[in-house]
Amino acid sequence: MAVLARRLATQFQLLEAPTILKPAISPQIVESGEGEALRKLRATLEASIASKLTSGSELVRAVARQRRDEILSTTIPPLDALLGGGLARGKMTEIAGRGTRFSIVIATLAAATSIGEAAALIDASDSFDPQLAEAAGVDLRRLLWVRPQTMKETVTAAEMTGATGFQLVIIDMGSRRPPGRRVPDAAWVRLARVAESHGATILVSAPYALTGTTSEAMILAHAPRTRWLGRGNAPRVLAGVETKLKLEKHRRLRPGQTTTVFFQCEEAVGSAQSSVLAVPTADTRQPAARAKAS
Amino acid sequence: MTRLACFYVPMFVLAARLRSEPELLNEAVGIVEGNGSNAHIVAATRRARKKGIQPGQSLAQARSLLPKLIARGRDAECERTAQEALLEVAETFSPRVEDAGEGVVFLDVTGMERHFAEDAGSADVPSASDSELRLARAALRACDAISLPARVGIAASKLAARVAAELPKSPIVVAPGEEATFLAPLPLTRLSPELEAAAMLQRFGLSSIGDLAKLPESEIASRLGEVGRELHWAARGIDPRPLMPRPLPPEFREGMELEWPLVALEPFLFIANAALDRLSKRMEIQGFACKRLEFTLTLDPEGYDARGIDLPAPTRDVKTMLTLMRLDLEKTPPGAPVVGFSFVAHPDRPRRAQLSLFGPSAVSPEKLATTIAKLVSILGDGRVGMPMTVDGHLPERYSINVFSPPPPPDMKRTPARARGLLAVRTFRPPIPIEVTTREAEGDDVQIASIRSIADSAPPSPAPNARNRIEAGAKVEIGGTVRICSGPWRIEEGWWSDRPDIREYWDVELERGGVYRVFRGGATEWFVDARYEM
Repeated sequence: MAVLARRLATQFQLLEAPTILKPAISPQIVESGEGEALRKLRATLEASIASKLTSGSELVRAVARQRRDEILSTTIPPLDALLGGGLARGKMTEIAGRGTRFSIVIATLAAATSIGEAAALIDASDSFDPQLAEAAGVDLRRLLWVRPQTMKETVTAAEMTGATGFQLVIIDMGSRRPPGRRVPDAAWVRLARVAESHGATILVSAPYALTGTTSEAMILAHAPRTRWLGRGNAPRVLAGVETKLKLEKHRRLRPGQTTTVFFQCEEAVGSAQSSVLAVPTADTRQPAARAKAS
Repeated sequence: MTRLACFYVPMFVLAARLRSEPELLNEAVGIVEGNGSNAHIVAATRRARKKGIQPGQSLAQARSLLPKLIARGRDAECERTAQEALLEVAETFSPRVEDAGEGVVFLDVTGMERHFAEDAGSADVPSASDSELRLARAALRACDAISLPARVGIAASKLAARVAAELPKSPIVVAPGEEATFLAPLPLTRLSPELEAAAMLQRFGLSSIGDLAKLPESEIASRLGEVGRELHWAARGIDPRPLMPRPLPPEFREGMELEWPLVALEPFLFIANAALDRLSKRMEIQGFACKRLEFTLTLDPEGYDARGIDLPAPTRDVKTMLTLMRLDLEKTPPGAPVVGFSFVAHPDRPRRAQLSLFGPSAVSPEKLATTIAKLVSILGDGRVGMPMTVDGHLPERYSINVFSPPPPPDMKRTPARARGLLAVRTFRPPIPIEVTTREAEGDDVQIASIRSIADSAPPSPAPNARNRIEAGAKVEIGGTVRICSGPWRIEEGWWSDRPDIREYWDVELERGGVYRVFRGGATEWFVDARYEM
């Protein structure tokens, strides 16, 4: 026991905060020539004008910081509310489950390309329909469509496009669990780092959770319910699909919130019965009790 | 007054070879010309010269002096590309460049010294000679960057500039008007070593260029003819012929003849990497990027294998070009050992873009080109690009084009409101199914159940199927239909012999899932999409 105690004591000593020797003379802050010139210029001006004066490098830094803090709206109000405004820039967000993931993907692509951003869709299941995407408002000129065939190619393509400077990178894994070997967890860590370092928004849409702890937020899309127009012997038309979304994980928000969104079928747009359902409905409910932190 | 610069690479044959094989720089290397017993040394590295290896010795003599001598044959491809590289460096200093043969380049630098003047804060007024000296030093640095140990001389005439460049202490600038004085003490062989006229002048008792310049021009011309007149002009520091600028080359070339045949891909790519790197640097100097890369492999014992790679966008990225080359060679091997290669890069201006300060940042065109080229090399043609809609009625129609996004807006925009459309996942190709139908009102048919034909047949083992993500043919669809909606009729190509007539239904199965089903003929049924569930 004495030996053990000594060992622990040694370990605790190592765990203590090291003593930082303070220099006798405090280091002087060295300013760049530009900063000094700006300071001199500010000193010669009135306070009201000086406060509005900024250098080019300060402006560029501020713009870059502002872009980092921005969020990308999915233009689906209930989903944006669930995510605290939208998809975080420089982060990875995941949507998993059997719900209407692809419709969310298309809506997000439409949102990003409509504001002039370049987007990349890594379509692992090769199920993207350009006609429908254009009808949904996607600017196809700003969309890079990549159709990989293996998991490894999918993650590689996402990493490459994210590092190139695409503002939005979406990985869609299709509606089935990808067969074969799964990519190692390190691949998702690398992807999260690419998003962080290049300010890219990465959205992963998969039938099962893939990203683990590396994603900023994870939404679970529950099995959807279909709605049909027409009853009995009357001709039927598919009106749309309603699905429930649940915030499973978020680094800044309380998880457990749910919402319901409705996506309408293109053929049903404009019909009297479906018009009330045309806009995604907000049904954000707070959980009864906060989930116990594990 | 015209000012000319001369770039001179001593022992050009050796320098060109070492540029292609830099790992031999510190070795005892001799460049050999001729075969068998006629093989003789034409140039040797300093380490070899210290051991007594001299140009003119036979290879056997050289080997007896230094058994470990590394002998390399003269490589015309290396020398040609080294000369091209030297010319391209010269073109970065002046647009008027003359190719004067092996390792010698003349360029008109009249007025160029102004770009190399001292900065404005300097107290002293810089002289033209100082500026020219800085220009010459910059030229030396540029030549070093392409691994050619050049010397530089600047004077008013080509002869004076060349003589100044050949002196060991480089760079040397001959002041304007001092050319005759500079050349006077030099022997007559400097004037024109290859002409017999110089030897004849020596027989006349003339020993230096200065002696010739003192004689009257008409006397020399009457005895030696037009050649004598030109020599007299050159001795006085006047060029008998003006500078003849060369036209800009339409392409960039690099190549090499190998010492032994290569049969494996990796060693070839190792050598090709260095050659592509040199090619890329040369294009960078000129501000170009490669749009198309052609390469010709010299095969053993005879024959050539010529190929070409079209790049998605102009790029100078060596890794990308090498990856594409690797894939091309892996796909169709040359079928014989490779003993030499030649790369030809067709230049194009790289894409430029003005970056926005307040709007969304644009993707760098060069990075984008590189990424797309890499993705195409990994995924294959037709799997990367910009999706495009196609006029028609069939829902599965699409095309894919080269991704070239328009510039982003200058100011930030608000995203357009979503239409909230339900997406469909398209199956490519459509999945054949078996269908049971029931009669409905009128002539319409309603679907009672569906089952994919692939279910009944045993799954065929596809190559590398373990790692493939969902393919259309592997999707299992089947079950009793809960709700059926349709049919909607589509007809395309009614003017052709075989028009495409289809009837579409939307079906929801009891077990879940809404599918888009169509009947292509009398009995052919397919599922071509699944509503996003």
